[in-house]
Amino acid sequence: MPFTETDHADYIVLAPTGKFNMVSAPLLKTRMDDLVAAGKARLIIDMSSVEFIDSSGLGALIGGLKGTRQAGGELRLAAPGDQARAVLKLTNLDRILTPYKTVEEAADGW
Amino acid sequence: MAGEDRTYTLSGFAVPAQLEAVHALLKQVATDHPELDPMDVMLFETAIIEIADNVVEHGRPQGEVQWTFTIRVREDEIEAVLDDTGQPFTPDTCSAMPDGYAEGGRGLPLAKQLLDRIEFSRFEDANHWRLTRRLGQVPPEFQI
Repeated sequence: MPFTETDHADYIVLAPTGKFNMVSAPLLKTRMDDLVAAGKARLIIDMSSVEFIDSSGLGALIGGLKGTRQAGGELRLAAPGDQARAVLKLTNLDRILTPYKTVEEAADGW
Repeated sequence: MAGEDRTYTLSGFAVPAQLEAVHALLKQVATDHPELDPMDVMLFETAIIEIADNVVEHGRPQGEVQWTFTIRVREDEIEAVLDDTGQPFTPDTCSAMPDGYAEGGRGLPLAKQLLDRIEFSRFEDANHWRLTRRLGQVPPEFQI
C-alpha cells in the first residue's frame, strides 16, 4: 500500500508516500471512505513523504474532506512539500484545505 | 549551457504504470540542466503529468494507446511534444478551475495555468500536443 496508517484513538494519520497520483489516490480514497464508515471521521493526511501530487490526488483529498465533514468530522492536511503547496495554491484549494505545518499542529484540539 | 541541444525522448504505452517513466525523464532533464530553477522544472512537470493523466484516462482504446514524449530545453523555455495514438480528441483548454468542492476537472485548468502555450493538432492518425513553459517566471510565492 502506498501509505501508512497510525491510529491515535482520537484521530488517524494517513501518510501517503511518493507519488500521490491517479495510481495511488483511489487506494487512499477507499481507505478514507472505509474509516469514515467505521466512525473514524477525524483524519490527518501527513503529506511530508509525498514528493508529487496531481489533480487525482487533490480529488481524493476533497472527497475525503467532504466524507469526513458529512460524518461530523474533518480532514486536515499536514506538512505538504513545495510542489503540493504550489498546486494547492494554484487550484485555490489552500482556502478550504489550509495546510498545517506539522501533524502535531494539525492534531491540536483533537 | 550544458546539454542545450539535447532532446529527451520516451516512447511506450499510455498506461498508469508509465507515468513513473515520464517523471524519470523530467528528472533526467533537471539533472542535466542544473541551471534550471527547480521550481520551474517542478511546475512544468506538474503540467506535463496532468496532460499525460488526461491521455491515460481518456485515450481509447484504453491500454493500447502509444505515446512519445520529446522534451527540449532552450535558453528561455522548456517544451514537451507529446504524440499519442488515441482517438481523435479536442481538449477543452478553455475550462475554468472548478468549484472548491469538486472532486475532478482540475487537470487541464491546472496545466493551462502552468504553461505559456498549449498547442494541439491531429494529423497522421495521432494527437500532437506541444506544451511550452517560459523559464524564469516562477511567482515569488513559489520560490523554494
